[in-house]
Amino acid sequence: MNAAPSHLDLLEAESIHIFREAAAQFRKPVLMYSIGKDSTVLLHLARKAFYPQKLPFPLLHIDTTWKFRDMIAFRDKTVKDFGLDLIVHKNEDGLKQGINPIDYSPSIYTDILKTQGLKQALDKYGFDAAFGGARRDEEASRAKERVFSFRAAGHRWDPRKQRPEMWRLMNGRLGTGETVRVFPMSNWTEKDVWRYILREKLDVVPLYLAKDRPTIERNGQLLMQDDERLQPKPGETVKMRKIRFRTLGCYPLTAAVESHATDLESVVAETLNAQTSERVGRLIDHDQAGAMERKKQEGYF
Amino acid sequence: MTVQAIRKSDVALAAVTAAAPVLNRELNGIVHLLTCGSVDDGKSTLIGRLLWDASDLYEDQRENVRKSGRKAAGTDLPDFSMLLDGLVAEQEQGITIDIAWKYFDTGTRRFVIIDSPGHEQYTRNMASGASHADVAILLVDARAGVKKQTKRHAAILDLVGVKRVVLAVNKMDLVGYSEDVFRKIDADFRTLCWKFGFWDATTIPVSAVFGDNVARKSENMPWYTGAHLLEHLEKAPSRGTASGGAFRFPVQTVLRDGADFRGLAGTVSSGSVKVGDTVSDVLSGRSAKVVRIATMDGDLPSATSGRAVALQLDIDIDVSRGAVLATPDMRPVAAQTVEARLVWLSETPFDARAGYLLRTVTDLVPIATLEIKALLDLETMSSRPSTHCNVNDIAVAKISLGRPAAIDVFTDIGETGTLMIVDAVTGASIAGGVATAVNARGETLGEGHFILTREMLGNGLCRDLSLSSTDREEFMRRANEAAILLRAAGVSVAIEPPPMVDDGMDPGL
Repeated sequence: MNAAPSHLDLLEAESIHIFREAAAQFRKPVLMYSIGKDSTVLLHLARKAFYPQKLPFPLLHIDTTWKFRDMIAFRDKTVKDFGLDLIVHKNEDGLKQGINPIDYSPSIYTDILKTQGLKQALDKYGFDAAFGGARRDEEASRAKERVFSFRAAGHRWDPRKQRPEMWRLMNGRLGTGETVRVFPMSNWTEKDVWRYILREKLDVVPLYLAKDRPTIERNGQLLMQDDERLQPKPGETVKMRKIRFRTLGCYPLTAAVESHATDLESVVAETLNAQTSERVGRLIDHDQAGAMERKKQEGYF
Repeated sequence: MTVQAIRKSDVALAAVTAAAPVLNRELNGIVHLLTCGSVDDGKSTLIGRLLWDASDLYEDQRENVRKSGRKAAGTDLPDFSMLLDGLVAEQEQGITIDIAWKYFDTGTRRFVIIDSPGHEQYTRNMASGASHADVAILLVDARAGVKKQTKRHAAILDLVGVKRVVLAVNKMDLVGYSEDVFRKIDADFRTLCWKFGFWDATTIPVSAVFGDNVARKSENMPWYTGAHLLEHLEKAPSRGTASGGAFRFPVQTVLRDGADFRGLAGTVSSGSVKVGDTVSDVLSGRSAKVVRIATMDGDLPSATSGRAVALQLDIDIDVSRGAVLATPDMRPVAAQTVEARLVWLSETPFDARAGYLLRTVTDLVPIATLEIKALLDLETMSSRPSTHCNVNDIAVAKISLGRPAAIDVFTDIGETGTLMIVDAVTGASIAGGVATAVNARGETLGEGHFILTREMLGNGLCRDLSLSSTDREEFMRRANEAAILLRAAGVSVAIEPPPMVDDGMDPGL
């Protein structure tokens, strides 16, 4: 019998180590909670890192007001079940200007309601470190990301100013005006996230499971009609389809896939056998070549 | 040719190719691979080939390669280096000099490819990438053989503690799959490696373009009887399987539950601990018994290296972040002075008047004085006295600390001997390094400590050992044990680092 730790055991231990380092080194950290599967794992790892103590930092959700209703319900239940501190922040200026993902391009929408919203919240509460669930396998520009990713004053990410990371030494000493994004799941892959959710029996937003839902087909992508704000354009129809989401972002910028995976086991099986990488379903990344690199420089994760 | 005997059970395990994923299956550990070499040596093609033949690529990624019509130079085969686009390519163009991380699964293993640039001006990048590696693949062109660059790379790997290296002799197709060419390179490499503390050094003849000995055995080289590259990599021990060695537990933080629980949170960095063990803190000199090993999944009877846990002790010995818990008879040193080898990471040169801090695994200590003694030439392994140090230099330095910190000699215990020099004002990471000698007294080091030389060990304690890699591992094990015993007897001791002056074993490159 081989008692050696599995790859998930090793990834879990590494993430716990990173959480503890960051909590010990930074004055006022916060956990960026975006409700999706990566956030679910991130939160679970954070709870493990500080057990039996209560989480030593709050959760922050940047609410664009365009999250699926199921996501908000799941968020509130999670906070209640685990007794967490949650800060919800909205970019009220942006909402007053009427910025929305239907009439505006994804890049403008994301910049104002997500990126600017996040910066506002970090500044308002004076957080010096923000945990995020980003992974290096998500996208080529993230393949070079550090675990401690430094941001100059104004939250700007300068690829040339990133600190070399060696062994398990984590240097979180901040210069004037600097803040840091901390990525405890840097070395996880999409498959790991699902396998871990299954192994740890974690609850996820029901939208990850297939169900008959009202959909509109647009530009070859399936959009779900979550409320009356998304209406079919001329020539489009609303049709019930059995769909689920591989990734959850802002409705209606997140496309669904047709699926019969109605329980977690089937979802994981589908993911492990998937023929395409996950970001194909996230419309925001198709907006512009090099979009992610640019968004990152502006302060988006 | 592999110099490590292949055990029968390993061969059975090494059955490769991307098997259909199994639900809920966990992989047999993680191996971090550093790839060093330049585009000319075919590095991207080799990694691409490995991904194509053995990994769990998504079908859309495979389709991109097929559809692109790009062919490997001079052949009708797909250009597998495409799979590394966005990683290797832009590095070699000099757009970025960063380390890129790539993940893939074979039937049994998770592999993490750490890709770092190999040119001399990127020594710091290679060193930081190598510090995360379990195995390094050094790539050479069969037509050129072992070059000066190979030597420099091996020296960096040794410095940061990589114990397993593979020399992939690529482009064997261009030398007619010649056994003689390969034997010569293999011999050169082995001579080169003997200078270093590698546990396993293996040479494999490959053709990345045609896939010979990458993920399947080559039919063009029947004279090669060793493992192919993937087979060899799948046998490498995963991180976290080595639970031998002295127990070390760097304390990260203290956890409380609001009642009577006070747990010291951290990751076991070496050895193992079980409930009932006495552990001690070298800084306070106090000891206590472990009464509970807590995790959210329930208490554990024991924890081995790599596990993140919280230890509850029977008495409150007022230990907090920065302490390193250890077995009482094999403790790290409460170091006042440290002799170290540093890789200078910062564009800002060493400045004797600047304020520096020393970061250890979980401690941050003011540095009283930092002195640069010499710089190492990695190609000749010779040193020349210097008081200056610039980016990419490898320096021999002496560090006097403002207060004691728990530090081990890197070649003995590893993680608790790793160091980072931090700029006290900007917080920037200035240099990364390893402790080569530690002293608890604030007096001159160097005269006082005893060096276990290779020659000394080879003449007596290790007389029965050959130059083979299994014997080399045993050599290092004995050397470590001897050092630990001497240190327990109060002798400040170091195991000979790679020689500063050429030892005459240079293969004449």
